[in-house]
Amino acid sequence: MQSTESTQTTHKIKTPKNLSPRIQWLRDYYFKGVDRAWNNEFTAFTTGTPWDIQYNELTYYIVPENYSFFQAMTSSFKQTAHPVKLPAHFWKLSLPERVAWFNKQVMVNYLPQEILPGDLIAGGRFNVYTSFCLTEKQAEQRQKLLAGKHGSREQIKWFHYKGYGNCGATCGHLIPDHQKALQIGWKGIHAELNSRYQALSQSDQNSPKGKQLQAMMISATLPKELSEKYATLCNDLSLAEKNEERKTELQHMARNLQKVPWEPAETFWEAVQALWLNHMLIMSDENYPGPGVSFGRIDQYLLPYWKQSIANGMTRDFGKEILKCFWMHTNTAYDAIIRTGGNQGITSGYGQLITLSGLGKDDQDMTNDLTYILLEVIDEMSPILEPKPNIRLHQGSPDRLLDKVVDMIATSQGAPFLLNFDERSMAGMMREANKSNSLHLIHENNVYEYSPVGCLENTMVGNDRSGTVDNNLDLLKAIELTLTGGKDLLPYADPITGKQFPIKQDGCLTSNARYFTSFEQFFRAFKKQLAFIIQQCVETYEASEFIRSQFHPTPYLSCLVKGCAEKGLDITQGGAELSFTTINPIGFATTIDSLLAIKYLVFDERVCTMKELINALKANWNGFEVLQATAKYKAPKYGRDDHDADALGKKVMDIWTEEVWKHQTKSTQRQFRPGLLSWNYWVEDGYILPASPDGRPCGKFLSNAICPSTGADIYGPTANTNSVGNVLGGRTQDKNQGDWRDYKNSVPSGASHTITFNPSFLKDKTHKEKFKAFLKGYTENGGTALQINMLDPDMLRDAQKHPQDYRHLLVRITGYNAYFTSIGKELQDEVIARLMHGNS
Amino acid sequence: MKQIDRKSEVYARVLDIQRMSTEDGPGIRTTIFFKGCTLKCTWCHNPESISALPQVHWIDSRCIGCRNCLNTCPKDAIVFESTGITINRKRCDGCGQCADRCPSTAMSYLGSLWDVDALFSEAMKDRVYYEKSGGGITISGGEPTLQFYAAVKLFKQLHEAGIHTAIDTCGLYPSQSLFQLLPYTDMILYDIKEMDPNRHKKFTGHSNKTILKNLMDLSNYIANHHLQKTLWIRTPIIPNATATPENIIAIGNFLAKHLNGFVSRWDLCAFNNLCKDKYLRLGLNWSFKNAELLTEECMVELADIAKTSGVDPDLVQWSGMTQQFKIERKYAV
Repeated sequence: MQSTESTQTTHKIKTPKNLSPRIQWLRDYYFKGVDRAWNNEFTAFTTGTPWDIQYNELTYYIVPENYSFFQAMTSSFKQTAHPVKLPAHFWKLSLPERVAWFNKQVMVNYLPQEILPGDLIAGGRFNVYTSFCLTEKQAEQRQKLLAGKHGSREQIKWFHYKGYGNCGATCGHLIPDHQKALQIGWKGIHAELNSRYQALSQSDQNSPKGKQLQAMMISATLPKELSEKYATLCNDLSLAEKNEERKTELQHMARNLQKVPWEPAETFWEAVQALWLNHMLIMSDENYPGPGVSFGRIDQYLLPYWKQSIANGMTRDFGKEILKCFWMHTNTAYDAIIRTGGNQGITSGYGQLITLSGLGKDDQDMTNDLTYILLEVIDEMSPILEPKPNIRLHQGSPDRLLDKVVDMIATSQGAPFLLNFDERSMAGMMREANKSNSLHLIHENNVYEYSPVGCLENTMVGNDRSGTVDNNLDLLKAIELTLTGGKDLLPYADPITGKQFPIKQDGCLTSNARYFTSFEQFFRAFKKQLAFIIQQCVETYEASEFIRSQFHPTPYLSCLVKGCAEKGLDITQGGAELSFTTINPIGFATTIDSLLAIKYLVFDERVCTMKELINALKANWNGFEVLQATAKYKAPKYGRDDHDADALGKKVMDIWTEEVWKHQTKSTQRQFRPGLLSWNYWVEDGYILPASPDGRPCGKFLSNAICPSTGADIYGPTANTNSVGNVLGGRTQDKNQGDWRDYKNSVPSGASHTITFNPSFLKDKTHKEKFKAFLKGYTENGGTALQINMLDPDMLRDAQKHPQDYRHLLVRITGYNAYFTSIGKELQDEVIARLMHGNS
Repeated sequence: MKQIDRKSEVYARVLDIQRMSTEDGPGIRTTIFFKGCTLKCTWCHNPESISALPQVHWIDSRCIGCRNCLNTCPKDAIVFESTGITINRKRCDGCGQCADRCPSTAMSYLGSLWDVDALFSEAMKDRVYYEKSGGGITISGGEPTLQFYAAVKLFKQLHEAGIHTAIDTCGLYPSQSLFQLLPYTDMILYDIKEMDPNRHKKFTGHSNKTILKNLMDLSNYIANHHLQKTLWIRTPIIPNATATPENIIAIGNFLAKHLNGFVSRWDLCAFNNLCKDKYLRLGLNWSFKNAELLTEECMVELADIAKTSGVDPDLVQWSGMTQQFKIERKYAV
């Protein structure tokens, strides 16, 4: 580099670039938000029965801030719901058939079809709340299971408000078989369903299995009827269009839509058009916008279409233009609550992931022309929230790719993508295959086809529902129960009613912690409580899983996931070939650090007795400040590449993950599997759970996912990374003794890891090379997924106010390092000013 | 920091271990700062590295006010005043008991003893990153040759393990000590701060005679033994001290005349004032406490001068903090 210009652009706020007037207009229009004439907000539809409901609270059991709005949401959507005219035989159909028919009717004949100026992709509105299509009797049964005594609602509130976490049968979070849908079209899918149905005996045809296939066949014709509507619209628009170029585009779009997604796609434009419709209809089917419904390896399965079109004269730029339109469509998911949600409904909560690059057969790197095209699109469109890119790296990732990745990180405020690491991820998938007897479905010769969904949760593709965000368990609860012998430390309350839960013997009856004479005794009791909280989570989850399996089929989605047609089971009934549900612990590091602190304070250094520690926690450390500081600053911590601390972390990791594998859902036989994602619960649950032995008071955040506790990683990114790799299982001496070669990984769903860097780490070419080397090192020593953030002035200002949380924050100036919080205010201000002005 | 394991005879007094260091040589490195220096530069930005003895210092932002330190100190060296805690340096013998008893690490101990084997294990933890980046270990200080036996043992072990080693030296050492380290050393970062011997003495407490002689001896030794060693020269650019065109020209002339072909980089490192608080914490008065940072123009100008001073202009780089809102950057041709 060495030129002033390139340095100056380094830390400025990232803006989109190279946008054509078309895309610029679409992007600007999108960000007008509520001022737009067109939007994609929720519209509700009803069968018109008095007992009809549209809003499914089960889907929001993992969003505790919604608990208090369940009644309000249910009645408001019910009130605004548009009636749909039903055919005479409607109530004679089975539930899945009714749902399939109703949703198709809504999408094709009730929801308007529109195309924005210049848009190259059709498929506008998809955010709907459709009728449950339940009979009166079914509605009553459901209501009883949900809101009756010991119903799912009561259970989830007990679970959440008592500090166990949250869980619920949630939609999305999978990768449908897009490749197949593009290759054979819905025509092919429909034909397959039909031949399966025809092969059934008469009695089977009338059984739930036959009805399910019938329902799926209804759904399989939805894309055809909808695309025909859009084709007609394109034709109408083209007739009125004055601009010749646009007229031709609209005519071309009409031809695309007359063909796909019913027929197999042939060109790139057709493939992207089909992909969008196929994807968007899943969100309609599940009545939920963008919940981790992911695309998988689009640079692989779209490549043949790209090559075909390029060979036939499509320009690179026009190909990018098509992709950019697709980009804008994914963002309209956020319109769902455009008027009622904060920030015009734009949150970072949806995760329509795309996966780029990664390993293929025979250790081959799969990076191709389209990978680079997609990276350009990401770079030119960002900052924008959807789709969320995930780049798979491995030991053999090409330098060209790494250079591009590092350049993009350097010019953004934090990476505009997540990095996924193949070797560790594949080790997790192989662990899953072994633990769940699925070696016929996940093995050496296909494990490289894995792909992440939602944020970073690894799954297989096209046949896998792993409920990757369904169970979120506060690991720290097990520490609390160990300290008390199985009771709440302090009374918990329902924040809405204010009513306190009586303190009871909820957990295992373990010995009084005050009489433990060794850490090993404490740890044995902890293991029992850990098994208890996992059991509690499994039981609570079962309530919502059962209701969903009985009353909420999604026949359209079931067409796109292998196993459902074969078994004649809806995906909500465990139809997918790979059918899992994932438990993600919240506060992993907080729990490890608490164990380390108990060992250090009570047993090793004898700073206090167990009784004193329990009293300190009950008092939220008030009056115990010296003990609290000792726990926070003198006790060992996870995240420092400290052998003993990491060994305890690994031990706990092994124990809880093994415990998880023991469970299956009763109603749907889905195997529980471990993951390590904690979304934003680590913030909220920090207010629910009492003080913890690591020195954290109630009201302070728990640790996030697999990250060390805030401020604990005082030895920098490499030590932090090594600790993460260590607790996941590390590497074996022998090449083939791990889960995948020498890599071990106890959490198949993957582990969310974030590291914040000072922008000066990437200030010039030499440093970018060093950063690249760090990423290569991460491949060897780190976890499954890494989010790279860049230090920003706001964070430094927060560090000035709360220095205790930022003791690890290093300021690096050539040849000199200092902890930010240990330099004076005046100099801190100077560092902030520099950062604000684009300098470091 | 780990306490010394008495089983080993060789140990080092270590100020700090900095992992993922990107500024002390090529690649990703772990920099080990040895405590104790032969020079006493007035501008030193690591003043805690000058004394070879252990010290304690008090970081006010970490203090919770428990006064454990006052009650622990066997020498009554800790005074609690309205402004905070002051350490009476005449009384304090660096025993570190206050730091042991401090719950929040506000009182912290500078100069833990590390067994060299433990230091080696610590250094090996980032091996993967060294391999991927062409990095390794840098020993710095202070003056690392002051702890000669520890340095040799550590470098020997590292070299056997195939790890790249660099030493960052101020140049004032008994000349034999570096020769003995050389077989296990891949790279030398060598400071030339000032060419005028009198000014050098004024700034650092010592004349530069030995430093320059050591450097020439070193280059002769490398040449005579046909060794492959990388040599980087570093010059701190200090306002009202070394930051003069005359000094830069003189250093350039010296390098061109005596070290032609031996130096692969000459770094001009801009003065920084982030260490102001370190002086306060050590109870020292810093003559640069009110000094302003240099301007970018000044650094660019000095770098341009350096390039025309007779050395290969490609060797010259500058780095560091310059006056507000100026860009920190490397400078090369």
